[in-house]
Amino acid sequence: MKRLPLEYAVRNLARSPLRLVLSVVGSALVVLLVFAAAAFARGMEHSLRASGSSSTVIVLGAGSEESIERSEIGSSVASLIAASVRGIRTRAGVSYVSAEVHVQLPVFLAGPATPEGDERHPPEDSEDAPLTLVRGFTPSAFLVHPQVQIVEGAMPRVGYDEVMVGTLSATKLGVAPDELAIGRRLWLAEKLWTITGRFAAPATVMEAELWAPLTDLKLATTRETDSCVLVALDTAEFADIDAFCKQRLDLELAAMPESEYYSKLGEFYAPVRAVVWITAALIGLGGLFGGLNTMYAAFASRVRELAMLQCLGYSRPALIVSLVQESVLATAAGGLLGAAIGLLLLDGVAVRFSMGAFGLRADAAALSLSLGAAFALGLFGALPPAWRCLRLPIPEALKTG
Amino acid sequence: MTQAPINGQAEGGLEPIIRCRGLTRTYIKGDNTITPLAELDLDVARGEFIALMGPSGSGKTTLLNLVAGIDKPTSGSLRVGGVELADVSPSRLAAFRSEYIGYVFQLYNLVPVLTAYENVELPLLLHRLSGRERHQRVATALQLVGLADRHDHFPRQLSGGQEQRVAIARAIVTDPRIIVADEPTGDLDKESAAAVMALLEQLTAEMGKTIVMVTHDPKSAAHASRVLHLEKGRLVVQDERFATLAGA
Repeated sequence: MKRLPLEYAVRNLARSPLRLVLSVVGSALVVLLVFAAAAFARGMEHSLRASGSSSTVIVLGAGSEESIERSEIGSSVASLIAASVRGIRTRAGVSYVSAEVHVQLPVFLAGPATPEGDERHPPEDSEDAPLTLVRGFTPSAFLVHPQVQIVEGAMPRVGYDEVMVGTLSATKLGVAPDELAIGRRLWLAEKLWTITGRFAAPATVMEAELWAPLTDLKLATTRETDSCVLVALDTAEFADIDAFCKQRLDLELAAMPESEYYSKLGEFYAPVRAVVWITAALIGLGGLFGGLNTMYAAFASRVRELAMLQCLGYSRPALIVSLVQESVLATAAGGLLGAAIGLLLLDGVAVRFSMGAFGLRADAAALSLSLGAAFALGLFGALPPAWRCLRLPIPEALKTG
Repeated sequence: MTQAPINGQAEGGLEPIIRCRGLTRTYIKGDNTITPLAELDLDVARGEFIALMGPSGSGKTTLLNLVAGIDKPTSGSLRVGGVELADVSPSRLAAFRSEYIGYVFQLYNLVPVLTAYENVELPLLLHRLSGRERHQRVATALQLVGLADRHDHFPRQLSGGQEQRVAIARAIVTDPRIIVADEPTGDLDKESAAAVMALLEQLTAEMGKTIVMVTHDPKSAAHASRVLHLEKGRLVVQDERFATLAGA
């Protein structure tokens, strides 16, 4: 099949500048939306995947495997595991075993300290304050969560009601970042806490958390139990920890690899991602119908010219290819524009979500998908109008105005 | 009723390049069957310049379209350049048009976004030619129609007569055996029309092209070597001396 030169398609784009702008802007919007949906899904997936390590095991209360926050285990479990299981990672005699409390608490920002003294209670409407995950930790937490690094200030001291905040916690709380600056205070569990540091844990759910010393948090929340114990493995295997949990029936424990926990959490959020995709697909479909109209108008005005080209010897498939080229060129330009805007404006943007907060991830997959959407828009937006304009017999088409 | 063949072999005894036998074309529109061409027998010799005349609906454009391979007969035989068009598939018909036919339209039908040069080059892109060969052919065709200096002009920058001459250059650039022209002067002023007709005449006389032209204009028809009158899909008269009469 001999095809028309690509230049023919390129120059046809300039026939109606308004139509070209409509096509480009329309497809840019659709692509931007697909890009946002992909970046959302990818960001969420990546955040959950990066949060868990396959060489770290979570020990939590039996029956609470779905949610650490519901789990309660004895405070002695961490030392028992460290003493009973061989092959746990150690460094300078310190075992990589971290007892933690995970609790969702309403957070209310407190005003600055005044000479008259502090308020004794949080404001009455503090119950409407946003919930955020507060993690009670010991210094061992840094051993099992190597991603966590203090980027500003210092680690909170035990006994001083101090807390450190993740870099995305402001997003999670829906406040400006300087509201959580070092030295600012906030109400947690009816106590006033001072922010002493800010930590980063790139692309993990931890970045949206607040971290407080384990004992202080347990006191504030009047609990005696821990939520879980995280164990980093060296020569030991998951089965060793699992066996410990099964042998110590009195402790009512369950073990699971950290990566599996977050993977299951990802499954829990699958319907949310599905809704995001469906919304993007529906809007994309709307864009497709808009594109069909635009392309039909563009092609319908050239029915006679298309008939002339057939008279010269060009086949219908060759003409369809040329019309599709034209349409794909317009949507590809829109696609590139949409993707560029997406890369510029969306990449890394923090999104607040029930699990915490995560950054939109504009990676190669999101980019490929959105550019693929632009191509599909160009292809399927052109085929029906092209066919409709070419189905007329040539003699009839030559008579059109 | 079958008409007696009007035999183009009269001109030098050449094998007819167009040969119709019982050529019929019917269309069905709703409950009606329309027959713009009925049982036509016709021979056209190589190098003949035929003008088809007749009232609207007489079948002249239908005959032109059939000869050009853009329509297919309902029944009968139509051989053009030795190819039986009644039996040819659509893709083969496209190849046939590219190889055998040059088409000149009343409204020129130039592609507005292409220059005169690129418009003339369009049919050549269907042929296996080097860029150099294509360039030579386009330049020759434009020179022949007297528009070598307008090669980079877009159709909107040309007059109607110039546009039609570009269209003629496009029709002859592939060196087709037959040129079909559907009222090529219908949209032109007298001067431009005369120039276009002179050009068509030159194509027959100097290059041996066979031309089949539909026209309503007796002056244009006067340039033809043979004028065929159709009425209600049938050939009613042929007049080889029409040229002399109309020119008087």
